[in-house]
Amino acid sequence: MRAETAIQQYRETARRWLEAHAATHGAPARRGLTPEQDLALGRAWMALKYDAGYSGINWPREHGGQGLGALEKLAFEEEEMKFGFPTDYFAVSLGMPVPIILRYLTGDWVLERARAALRGEEIWCQLFSEPSGGSDLAGLRLRATQDQATGDWRLDGQKLWTSYAQYCDYGILVARHDPTLLKHQGLTYFWVDMRAPGTTVRPIKLADGSDHVNEVFFDNVLVPDSQRLGPVGGGFKVALETLVIERHHASDPAGFGPALNLFVREAAAADVDGVPLLEDGRVRERIARNYALQNGLRAIQARNQLMLGLGMEPGPEGAVNKLVSARARQRLSEFVLDLRGAAGVTWEPSGRLDDWVRSWISAPTGRQAGGSDEMLLNTIAERILGLPQDHRPDKGVPFNQIPK
Amino acid sequence: MALIYDESQRQIAEECDRILKNAFSAPALKQLLEQSGAYDTGFWDICVSQGWPAIAVPEAAGGLGLGLSEQGIVAQACGKVVCGAPFLNTGYAVSEAIGRFGDAAAREKWLPALAAGEVKGIVALAEGRAPLPKAPAVRFEDGRLTGTKTAVPGGGAGDLAIVLAATCDGPALVLADLSGAETRRHLLPTFDNSRLAADMAFAGTPAQLLAADGIQAARTILCLLAVATAHEQVGGAEAVFASARAYALERYAFGQPLAAFQSIKHRLAENYTLIELARSNAQYAAHNVDDPHFARYAAAARIAATEAYDTASRDAMQVFGGLGGTWEADLHLHQRRARTLAVEIGNNLFWEDELVEELRRAC
Repeated sequence: MRAETAIQQYRETARRWLEAHAATHGAPARRGLTPEQDLALGRAWMALKYDAGYSGINWPREHGGQGLGALEKLAFEEEEMKFGFPTDYFAVSLGMPVPIILRYLTGDWVLERARAALRGEEIWCQLFSEPSGGSDLAGLRLRATQDQATGDWRLDGQKLWTSYAQYCDYGILVARHDPTLLKHQGLTYFWVDMRAPGTTVRPIKLADGSDHVNEVFFDNVLVPDSQRLGPVGGGFKVALETLVIERHHASDPAGFGPALNLFVREAAAADVDGVPLLEDGRVRERIARNYALQNGLRAIQARNQLMLGLGMEPGPEGAVNKLVSARARQRLSEFVLDLRGAAGVTWEPSGRLDDWVRSWISAPTGRQAGGSDEMLLNTIAERILGLPQDHRPDKGVPFNQIPK
Repeated sequence: MALIYDESQRQIAEECDRILKNAFSAPALKQLLEQSGAYDTGFWDICVSQGWPAIAVPEAAGGLGLGLSEQGIVAQACGKVVCGAPFLNTGYAVSEAIGRFGDAAAREKWLPALAAGEVKGIVALAEGRAPLPKAPAVRFEDGRLTGTKTAVPGGGAGDLAIVLAATCDGPALVLADLSGAETRRHLLPTFDNSRLAADMAFAGTPAQLLAADGIQAARTILCLLAVATAHEQVGGAEAVFASARAYALERYAFGQPLAAFQSIKHRLAENYTLIELARSNAQYAAHNVDDPHFARYAAAARIAATEAYDTASRDAMQVFGGLGGTWEADLHLHQRRARTLAVEIGNNLFWEDELVEELRRAC
């Protein structure tokens, strides 16, 4: 009980601090900025957090963090996301690549990288997905060839969907060093300098017009063997380690789209030829169903955080959040356009917090990124319900003999 | 009350499951389907001997002094075995109504008897299609009730009812003693006969006022009952889902278990998701029973639970193939109960409206 109150106090203090900076760094300040200006504001925001002691909240102090727990981190993130601060650029960087290099490397250099990443001065990307390996991560083909004389490596191939690569200084990467081995055994893991000669980043324009994901091409890029993390052939294991290194992410029951109360407010203020929208049973049903869904997710979240605070292992049901919130957000956003009538086609882009059109048009990406609906259903079925794996023709076969 | 069950709450859950598992008999439940006016007296005896009707009754009145979370835990266990009598949750609602709105005399007279299971409490608020009628046809005057409530759950055997009845000052919540000859019960043939739905004709039934603002009081009680029922629905959903999962693992087709087919895996994963959302909603509502927003949590719990139980029972029958629709496979016990619980205390149309009105007020 006392621990719960301490977290609450931490949250209150954080909220007051966040509120004080919302006007200068939050959603209102970002309106109308170019991507470059927005990134600059993001870097400034990260530096401000660093100086105020809100960086690396659950990282050890010796890594530049605050030495607090997952609960403080979650509390801060949940409050922070309500204001629309420009944090997206740094989420991957601080969530996976930097923690993993801190686990595998020691010394001043890596500590300096951590500090620079926390302050938003440097950004790291995660180069995992490829044209032939997304959900099927171990299907990747980018080749790493070792020079037998020097022990150093050359990278050749392509990565895909790399978030914010165009702004990144460094990255972590999994490559195939031996295609004659079994799929999962022929992989090796490196960190790379994104400015190394032969590296080309090409932004991909998405349906909503944004271009935060990229294709990254590697053409005979030299990577010293000192940049290898883990043993040769140990790449898949380090990749899995990377994916779970930050186990606790703040989730949003609204699927990182506008909040449901905005929908209620919009419906309450509008009518169709004199009939109030909020009197329409179809509108009411949507509101009620979405509320019940989001409240269920909030309940799961609250329970799991409580368990975390008590040192218990949270239940596996947190896994349903991304699945149900992303697709619910898609349908609700579609429905908002219906409610607006023919004028529903108008779009004046604003931020994530209140732009239903953007929420709708970017929803397909939201349902893929970080695990497609179908993969998530498989994960629930296999990991939680203990149902058999799908038929896997790639099992026990050398990578270069798997049917393509 | 807890968002995470504590040691004693977990013990209650385990104990309930253990006792009810031994008592569960599908043949007996199916026999009850084919007759009118009978309920599973063995089940009710277990409830009484275990002290379950006493759970939420204050200790001073002979109860256990526990709360909605514990009531929910027991209801969930009962839901798993498609319990053969409706009185545990309706009795809880009546106890709560007396505890919150009754005078000292009513509390002394009825609460110990309800806690001991000597008196079976039922809830008669609805009329026609309205769960909370603004202008009830049943009237309360000079301590007597007149008029008819239709399809009252448990009506075939209830001893004491809370009733929403018209007075000259608007609808009131009253407590009616059903033991005398003034009340006539007409049992209805239903698809879930052990619920004992009956039309109840009051012809001078003795009653006493509980709350003059009847709609508000009835709504409060209905929310409590909704959360208890949501737990029962979650229990039913869990049980029928477990049957589907087990069958999918054991039955082979095309040389592999059904559970290896993605269409089946995904169906079950979707069911799991709905059940977890419903379970968490129900638990959250029970935990927040004293919160100013309790009404919206209760409505959310009810909506999610109805969807989960309906879907899980529908999908389980699909997973079972042709066998699913047979009398022998027992799944129709859940199919029936899912729908019964869905309509008994206000359907989802009603709860969606309740929820939207709550949210509208807030914005």
